[in-house]
Amino acid sequence: MYFVLYICFMNETFVANWKSQLKKGTLTFVILNVLKDNEYYGYELIEEIKKHTDMEVAEGTLYPILNRLKMDNLVDSKWVEQGTGIPRKYYSLTEVGMKTLAEMNAYWKTLVFDIEKIIK
Amino acid sequence: MKIATIPFEQAASARVYSDYMKRVKREIQSLPQQSQDDIYMEFNSHIFEAIQHRGSTHEIDALLDILEKLGEPHDVLKQLVADKKLEQATRTFNPLHIFKALVLNITNGFSYIIFAVLYLFLFAFLFLIVAKIMHPEQVGLFTQDGHLKLLGRTTNPLQPGMVEILGDWFISLMLFSAVLFYFIITLLLRIKKSINKK
Repeated sequence: MYFVLYICFMNETFVANWKSQLKKGTLTFVILNVLKDNEYYGYELIEEIKKHTDMEVAEGTLYPILNRLKMDNLVDSKWVEQGTGIPRKYYSLTEVGMKTLAEMNAYWKTLVFDIEKIIK
Repeated sequence: MKIATIPFEQAASARVYSDYMKRVKREIQSLPQQSQDDIYMEFNSHIFEAIQHRGSTHEIDALLDILEKLGEPHDVLKQLVADKKLEQATRTFNPLHIFKALVLNITNGFSYIIFAVLYLFLFAFLFLIVAKIMHPEQVGLFTQDGHLKLLGRTTNPLQPGMVEILGDWFISLMLFSAVLFYFIITLLLRIKKSINKK
């Protein structure tokens, strides 16, 4: 009985794992795209990502990623004083970041186009 | 640098916050002051902004939730500290920073074990210089019957046919080797770092 049930439904664990890997792999790509049009501070950036995607960003992983992007000269950051006394660190794309992202977006489009041909 | 602490309405929240930030501070204390301030202020800012946006949630509940999502300072900051340390080490050529960066990165892959072994050689060369000064007869590059036999220190009385061939040049050679290894390690670290980025 259980076996019949099992083969009739999709393998949920497999799909869940696949989704999680996919999200992990594209998080940097998503961050760069969110920063494309605007500069954001860490907390706001997480909120933006949540707003546009169904990604649950683990807050703790965001800052190491941003630091790596900074080391790679794709993003830049600056501290901006606030009336509250607690400054915000704003991140924005650099010139190199813009060009790199344009290349990544072009590749993404080709990839999606090819995959959709297979899905059909 | 004086960094503003977040004011809380409840004493319990203030205690939880202060405990968390202390742990953050402990994790990053090996970094230069500027990096420390930067990381500390960023975590501080994140907590502050998240608290401001908590809506109607109880302060302490919101804070516990925020800190849980941020994660344990040790787990979250491990990679960040290792990255920053490596960045600093390859920028400054300072042996102490390189040594610390290697220790922090040793669990991050096999290649760092190779770096650590190279570093061990470097220290061995330096050790041999001191040893040569203290025991000139027992330390050096020895040959036996025309073949290279030993680089280092022999504790036994010399075997027949064994001669030390470098004399005082040994110190110069060890010093040169140490400097050479040092530059090789730093350059390899730089190459490794640029490969990591790709």
